[in-house]
Parts: sequence; C-alpha cells; structure tokens
Amino acid sequence: MAEPTSGARTILEARSVRRTYAFGTIGVPVLLGADLVVAEGEWLAILGSSGSGKSTLLHLLGGLDRPDPDGGEVRFAGQRVAFGRGGALDTYRNRDIGFVFQFYHLLPELTVLENALLPSLVGAWGPLGQERRKAGRALALSLLAEFGLSHRLTHRPAQLSGGERQRVAIARALVNSPRVLLADEPTGNLDTHTGAGILDLLAARHAAGLTLVMVTHDPEVARRASRVVRLDDGRIVADR
Amino acid sequence: MYAALLSNRYLTSRLIPFIAIGAVGLCVALVVTVVSVMTGFLDMLKASGRTIVGDVIVSSGLGGIPYSDELLATIRANPDVQGATPLIDTIGLLRMPYPAGPQKEVSHVQVWAVDPASLATVTDYAKDLYWRPPATEAAAAAMTPEDPRRSLKPAVLTDGETLVQSSTGRPGITLGMHVSVGNSRQRDGSYLPRYGWFMPGHDVTLTVVPVSGQGKIAEPREQIFPIVNEVQTGIYEVDRNRIYIPLTEGQRLLRLDEAPLYDLSAEPDAAGNYPIIGTTPARITKVLVRAKPGVSADDLKKSIGSIYADFAERIAKDPTRTARASSIVNILTWEEQLRDLITPVEKEREMMRVLFSLIYLVCAGLILSIFWAIVVEKTRDIGILRAIGASRLGVMWIFLRYGLVIGVVGSGLGVALAWMIIRNINAIHLAIGSDAPSGMWIGGYVAAGLCLIGLVRALWRQRLLSVLLWLLGTLVLALAATLLLFHKGTLIWDPSVYYFTIIPDQVDWTTAWTTAVGGILFSVIGAAIPASKAADIDPVEALHYG
Ligand SMILES: Nc1ncnc2c1ncn2[C@@H]1O[C@H](COP(=O)(O)OP(=O)(O)O)[C@@H](O)[C@H]1O
Ligand SMILES: [Mg+2]
Repeated sequence: MAEPTSGARTILEARSVRRTYAFGTIGVPVLLGADLVVAEGEWLAILGSSGSGKSTLLHLLGGLDRPDPDGGEVRFAGQRVAFGRGGALDTYRNRDIGFVFQFYHLLPELTVLENALLPSLVGAWGPLGQERRKAGRALALSLLAEFGLSHRLTHRPAQLSGGERQRVAIARALVNSPRVLLADEPTGNLDTHTGAGILDLLAARHAAGLTLVMVTHDPEVARRASRVVRLDDGRIVADR
Repeated sequence: MYAALLSNRYLTSRLIPFIAIGAVGLCVALVVTVVSVMTGFLDMLKASGRTIVGDVIVSSGLGGIPYSDELLATIRANPDVQGATPLIDTIGLLRMPYPAGPQKEVSHVQVWAVDPASLATVTDYAKDLYWRPPATEAAAAAMTPEDPRRSLKPAVLTDGETLVQSSTGRPGITLGMHVSVGNSRQRDGSYLPRYGWFMPGHDVTLTVVPVSGQGKIAEPREQIFPIVNEVQTGIYEVDRNRIYIPLTEGQRLLRLDEAPLYDLSAEPDAAGNYPIIGTTPARITKVLVRAKPGVSADDLKKSIGSIYADFAERIAKDPTRTARASSIVNILTWEEQLRDLITPVEKEREMMRVLFSLIYLVCAGLILSIFWAIVVEKTRDIGILRAIGASRLGVMWIFLRYGLVIGVVGSGLGVALAWMIIRNINAIHLAIGSDAPSGMWIGGYVAAGLCLIGLVRALWRQRLLSVLLWLLGTLVLALAATLLLFHKGTLIWDPSVYYFTIIPDQVDWTTAWTTAVGGILFSVIGAAIPASKAADIDPVEALHYG
C-alpha cells in the first residue's frame, strides 16, 4: 500500500482501481488494481515509465475517465466519486479538482484571461452564479499577475510561449480554488529551464497549502515532490 | 454564460457561419417576396372581382325570372342591401367596324344586358367607364399630347352611364376595354388608339341567339349599336369579353320581353293567328346584389335565398299570374362566382409556399454540414470543456445557440431584404425594364479590369486560391457588364400586356413572420445533430487524440 507517512487527513483515494482499454475484441489492461492515498497538503509524485498508465490513473482520480465495472473506486474527501451521475461528476471536475495537462490544452479562440476564468464561468450557474463569476475573475487576475502574465491578458494562446501557456493552464486549474491539483507531466513539453520555473510555481502553491498530485516519467522532476510513488505493472508501489 | 462566449467566438472567428447566415437570409427573402407579391395579386383580384359582380348573384336557367321588378323591390327593401340590379347574361357575336372594306372582324363576346343606373349601385360600372374628359387642368396636363381623352366631350361619359347615344337617341353599347384591338395599352396604364381606331362613335353589329324556355334555339337576331364608351373593370378576362347593352334591348333580342299570350287550343283566324288571352311578363336571367358595408356576402346570400323563396311561392299561389318563377335558382357569393378566377391563383400561391419552403431543408442541411465540420474541428476544445466541468447540455447549448443566432440573424436579414425588395419592386422592375445606364456597364468593365490586375498579381505570387477567386471575379464582372451593355429594357411584367399596372408592394407580414420562425426553427434543427454529437464527446478520448 502506498500511504503517506504522516497522519494527515486523506483527501483523495484510489481503491484497487482497474482500467482496461478495449481494442476491438481484446482488452488491454492498463491498471490492475492500483491503490493510492493522497493526504491533504502533500505533494505527491507518481513516477512511471512511458505507457505505464500514469495518465490513465490521473484521469480516473480527476473524474475524466471511469474505472472498469467492478474495478474499484475513487474517493474524494471520504465520498465515492459518482462516475455514473453526470451532474455530480461535472461539479466534481469543476470545483473539487484542478487539472493541468502536458499539452496545456487552452482554447485557441479565447484570450489568456478568458481561458483562465473559464472554469468559473462553467461553474457559475444557480443562485450563486454571479458571485462565483466575480470571485473567479478576481482570482484569475491575481493568479495571472502572480505568474507574471498581467501584460498578456488579451493575448491569444498562440501568441504565448510554452512556459507561458502552461502558466495560464495552471491559473485555469486553480481559478475555482480546488482542493487538489492534478498535473499530468506539467513540464513534459518544456525545456529544463522553463520546466523548473513551472515546478517553482507549483512549489509556491504547495507551500501555500495546495494538495498536488503530479505524474512524471522524470525522476529529477519527481524529486521536487514531498513524496514519490511508482507505477509499475498497473499497480502502485511505494518508493523510498 | 460560457456557451454564449464560445458560440460568439466560434461565430466571429470564421467565415463559414456568415455564408450560412447569407443562405438562410436568401431563403427567407425568397419565400417572403414571392408569397407577398402573389398575396398582393390575389387581394387585388378579389378587390376588383367584387366590384364587377356585386356581393351576391342570383341566376336562373334560360327560362329567366319573371316579375323581376317585384323581386328587385323586395330585395332593395331589405336593410342589408345597398343595391340590386337586373341582368341578362348571354353570349353573342360582335361584328367590329374594322378593318376597312366589306370583310369585317367578328369576335365572340359575353353580352350583359343591364339597367345601367341600378348597375352602378351594385358594381363599379360607372367608375369603370374609361373614356371621360379630364376632370381638371392638372389631370389634362398629366396626359400625353396624343391622348384622345384630352378632346372628349362630357357626353361620352353620360352616354356610357345611360347606354344611350344622346346625339341620336339610339340605344348604345359599351365594350370591355380589350374587346376591340383599337386600344393599345401604354406602360402608364393609359390607352392610345391603335391603327387609328378610336372606338366610341363607331357602330357594331351584335348577334345573339334567343333560346326558348324549352331549350329550343330560335332564329338569331342582330342589331346595330353605336359604341358610346368602353369599360375597364380591372380583370383582363372580363375586359376582353364583356359588352354592355340596355336591358330592354337585350330582352327584345333574346325574346325575353313582354309578349302576348296566345290560346293555342283555339282556332286560328283567317291570317293564321291564334286569339290573344293575355301577356307573358318580361324576364331577366340574373340579379346582382350589393351588401351594405359591414354585411358579409355569406349572410346576404342567406337573406336573398329566403327572399327569393318567398317571392317564388307568392307568384305560384297567385292564379292571376301568367308565368311561374322557377323555384330553383342558383345563388352565389361573388367569391363563389369568381372561383374559377381566384382558385388557381390561390393554389399557385400555396404551391409556391410549399415548394419554396423546401429550401429550408437545404438551409438545415447546410447548417448541419458546416456545424458538423466545426464540431469535428473543435473536438479537443469540447474535451477540454468537459474536463473542466462543462455539462453535456452546456456543450450542446454552445452549438444550438450558434444555430439559433444564425437563424435569427439570417431570418431577420432575410425579412429586411424582402421588405426592401417588395417596397421597391416597381422601381426595380422598371429599372430592369429600361436600358442600363451607361455608367453601370462602364463601371462593370472598370471593376473587371481591377480584378484582372489582381489576377495578374496573384499569378505572379503563385497563390492558387487567389488566382481562382480573382479569375472568377474578373469573369463574373465582365459578363455582368456585357449583359448590361446589351440589355435592352424588357419588362418581365409588361403592364401593356398584363392587366394590373403595378406590382403589389406590400409585405405579407403573416408570411414574413411565419417564414422567419421557420428559418430559425430549421437552423436550430440543423444545428441540433452536430450539437448532440458534440455533447457525446468523451473528454479523455478527445484529449488523447485531439
Ligand atoms: N483512450 C485510450 N484508448 C485506448 N488505449 C489507451 C487510451 N489511453 C491510453 N491508452 C493506452 O493505455 C496505456 C497507458 O496509457 P497512459 O495512461 O497514457 O500512459 P502514460 O501516461 O503512463 O504514458 C498505453 O498503452 C496507451 O496506449
Ligand atoms: Mg501520459
């Protein structure tokens, strides 16, 4: 079992999750019963070789993908993530989790600011909608300022460098103040120097209390985390 | 909120949606324009139709209606009735005064033997008399110098109104405006004599065939009438066939006048005549009735029906009468009477509406394919949206809203375009009907020349798409300029041939808004299929392959 050493509260948990991809009639199992416990406030790195299923695991944790039927469960703050219920799952993706992708995945038609505050717009329905939008806008502006992008607010993603794009993507992931940030190879597409900048930025957020789960194939990158686990043969094995 | 943001961005960041807006707009404009103009014609037809036959028509068989004065008096006494007039309606042959020489042209005509004074209370007969001297100096000044109306005497009008040639006292005839070839219709709707034949004053010979109550044809009879005026009712079919003579002349010619009643069972006298035992009354074949304003033709038809039934019964019960009023007569409203004229136009309009509405499907298909391509292109973006918590319905709404905007803007522009076309349709029509001003084709050639320069530049730079576009521009402009150069004004709707001098220029707003709603509906339907596809996109797959 891969569990945090300290006795901090568990925020996110995977219980023997299995995920099999179907290629026509044959099923290719990627996760064979992965167990993972993420404690509140830690920076967890999941290290694994390319194709080992790191992204798959992160997608399951973030509610983007669902485990096989009877393939274990994902728990957030002690509650089962309801993969079957669209509305609840949408809210989970929108409010509880922030997601950062290797390839940034910004929307090309929107400006930097619009990209950053998009999740606050998506979640801005119901009676609190107006307030959420306002809070989202304020937070997006302060995050972009913190990330040194204040002069880029009205630019389009295509006008930005890779490092800048990833910083916008991180601002977007944080704009709804999620309790956990999931980052899939956040430096995977960047040169070492720029990647280090991104990791500094994540470290600063972690120091400010953010729970981080980061996936990487690079042990150098994993070293920045407070705890590292390894994904091997579809299972999590504790490192160190 | 985000759906609005994204659909607006997707809309403004590419050209294709504007093509879709244009397509929807053109479809809507086409339907609204065509149906509005046809509705306008139909209304004009109905409006003029009613002024020709009144509201309700009572027709008997060939035997005719006797004691018509009594019937008319009862009808006129009814509070719903504005006026009623007797009529004999038959067919005849008219020998025209032209050409010069012994061999004259003969046309077949619809003969209306009328009482002109009461006819004018039921129809627009008096107003429809065409030849009348100009009422004012200004009216005279507006006429062309060769217009014969400038030199007319007031008598021409009163003669037409009374069907009597006042200079001779002879009973006169009026002809529908297009019965004679002597009237050449001008573009402004006025008439000039053709081949020098100005009809009023000439004599024509009318031949009719009396038919007995038993349906036997008697010896044809003819009579020479002086033409006193000509009549323009507003419907070409009528004006080409109809002539008007005094009722008494018609009754005499058709043997429907008062006649002695012979006792055929008695022995004839030395001259072979049977003894006279009384007289049979004169007859008419139709009664036209005009309703008071606000009384519907259908209501009037009911009252006239019961009035006639009472009348027929009264005659039948009266032993002193020498004739019976048939209990079977045909009572129709003007709409039923003119059904032959109105129904085909109505059917054509509905056909147009249906046929042109099919282009909605083209619009929906166009929007569907454009949106499908956009959804495929935007798969990754949709995956991202789903990953950050956008719901399926939210994603779907982006594209539905997109379709809605295209539908609303397109339909709005379409109605506006139709409005502009219809309001200016006569000016447009006249412009098409005139030679193009030289500035237009010269401008066309200049623009084509500019495109040619663009073409050469594009060739120089080896940009295939620009080459193609400039080439198309050059060809289209040069072709348009050449067509304009050789365009010799031909009116599509030539008012010298067609009856109505103007094309209706009122938008049929019911059609306009139903068509616009249809345009919006079909745009949304076209968008719904790609929108559902977008909603079904799986975020992980979209991000993996996107
Ligand atoms: N959507 C998918 N459909 C089919 N196979 C997939 C899909 N996503 C990932 N895989 C396969 O699952 C395995 C693990 O993929 P992934 O989780 O992306 O690995 P990692 O992120 O560790 O490189 C790979 O063999 C990959 O080809
Ligand atoms: Mg991966």
